[in-house]
Amino acid sequence: MNKALATGIFIISTIIGVGVFLYPLILPATLEFANPLQGDFQQSQAMTMVLLTLTIGVLLLEMQGQETSAKTIAAMGLLIASTSVLRFIEVAIPGPGGFSPIFIPIIIAGYVFGARFGFLMGSLTMLVSALLTGGVGPWLPYQMFAVGWVGLTAGLLPQVENTFGQITMLAVFAFIWGLLYGLIMNLYYWPFLSGGMAETGQIMDGFRASMASYGAFYLTTSFVWDLTRAIGNLVLMIALGLPAVRALQRFRDKFQFQVVTP
Amino acid sequence: MKLTFNTLAWVIWLSSAAILTLLMRNPLYLIILLLVARLVQNACGGEQASLKISLWQLSAVIMLFSIFFNLLLVHVGQTVLFRLPRNLWLVGGPITLEAIVYGAISALILITLLAVFMAFNNIVPTSDLIAIIPRALTNLGVVILIAVSYVPETLNQLQRVREAQALRGHRIRGLRDWQPIIIPLLVGGLERSMNLAETMVARGYGATGGQPLAARIRGIMLAGLVLIFAGWMVSYNNSLIGWLLVLSGGGFLLLAYYEQGRKIKRTRYTFVRWQIQDWLLVVISLLPLLLIFLPFPAVHGGSITYSPYPLAAVPQFDPLIGLAIALLAAPALLVELK
Repeated sequence: MNKALATGIFIISTIIGVGVFLYPLILPATLEFANPLQGDFQQSQAMTMVLLTLTIGVLLLEMQGQETSAKTIAAMGLLIASTSVLRFIEVAIPGPGGFSPIFIPIIIAGYVFGARFGFLMGSLTMLVSALLTGGVGPWLPYQMFAVGWVGLTAGLLPQVENTFGQITMLAVFAFIWGLLYGLIMNLYYWPFLSGGMAETGQIMDGFRASMASYGAFYLTTSFVWDLTRAIGNLVLMIALGLPAVRALQRFRDKFQFQVVTP
Repeated sequence: MKLTFNTLAWVIWLSSAAILTLLMRNPLYLIILLLVARLVQNACGGEQASLKISLWQLSAVIMLFSIFFNLLLVHVGQTVLFRLPRNLWLVGGPITLEAIVYGAISALILITLLAVFMAFNNIVPTSDLIAIIPRALTNLGVVILIAVSYVPETLNQLQRVREAQALRGHRIRGLRDWQPIIIPLLVGGLERSMNLAETMVARGYGATGGQPLAARIRGIMLAGLVLIFAGWMVSYNNSLIGWLLVLSGGGFLLLAYYEQGRKIKRTRYTFVRWQIQDWLLVVISLLPLLLIFLPFPAVHGGSITYSPYPLAAVPQFDPLIGLAIALLAAPALLVELK
């Protein structure tokens, strides 16, 4: 019963999360049933932000509600502190383009400790670093969701024994997320810049028009920026990934060690 | 002594101002809200700046970007300024004044949203934000607390590792040279986490907190999520019912948090009292939303939306709504009066 409920929570949260990110692209189709002149478009903007904040609240409660040991809590806290330091350095000394060193520790932690740990580490790293750098903003729930997904999907990767295969898989994964992160994060402010399709009649052009418009916007404004992030992820993972994975795997075994008394 | 407000009251102020910003497209109301946010930040905020560049520099970039993008992509409106050849992909067609106005309003929404969050960041200290983490999230609260507390220590550790490696003749020439710095930092952090975990257990951590979620609470959460999702879908046909469903879903989630939090004991060094000015802040924060959502005959709720299409005109203005938005500046007035 409990497992079925938890699965239901994950499924609906994922549908809401994916829907909120993708709704700017499917907005024209949905608004055919709405009345744009009564501000339905604006209401959906406010609603998606409320929706995502509430869903993050559900996911955090659900994920921490599973059995969590003091070792896991302490390790997560310290790993988030280390990753937040990287974000701190990034804010003080910005790297080229969209390069950010925070993705690598989140991917590696998710890969070694599992999807739940990865999601929480991703989300909470964004929260903690936002608190520390004064970066609490309307983008925070979106960032928490997107970076949470980075850690969660890393936890779903297969455990590869071969060293070359492992680092290749992680490097490609980090590269893909470098691009994907920008692609989906842009969607949160894209509706503001999408030219009021709901009100202009261009709405009737539908999904293809939205995609073409977003594609043009993405290619002209973000692609190079995101490519820098993706290449940075790839290079960092190749340079530092393997020893970091080995170090975390050693500690994972230590964390799981328990003395069971009869 | 400066008049202060409860952190929860500020969270309600922030939520209301952010939702209002996203609901409105009337530039007159948006300008009032932008001024309110700046006024409140100046009166109630601290010295520290939350961004490296000023809000006005950022605003100029957002404004230029939004107008530029909108005028090139949207070819609707009656006031045609000039035309680009039709065969140009996406950008070809008439360039209109209405598209420029729409782009400027979109930018104004983003700028107002930024100003509201900047004010909040500037007013509420990090420690106060951590203090309001709900009891139900006790484990994650501890994770956040550990992370925030250990950031300065981790920075010191980074410095110590760099110095130790430099004494051994290590120099950073390429990315791989970061390995002898990053890996000891990571391992050091994890070693500290082992010690910390043992200390936590020795002091009784886990004796009261970290209760697994009961099926009943998961059921409440699932019901809340279903209501939220249904509200979102319904809102495209009937926004009032949609919002009511989302709010009732939010109520279910609050209930789940309350039920889970009841099992956990938490003590505080200082108890922050809820005072009369906090009630005032909550009431004035909710007032503009009530005026917009409830069908008061004297209020023209429709004036919050404005579209420059097909022909740009002066937006409508309801003084009651304008006044309700201006009232969000009440904390600034109260602080100045005190």
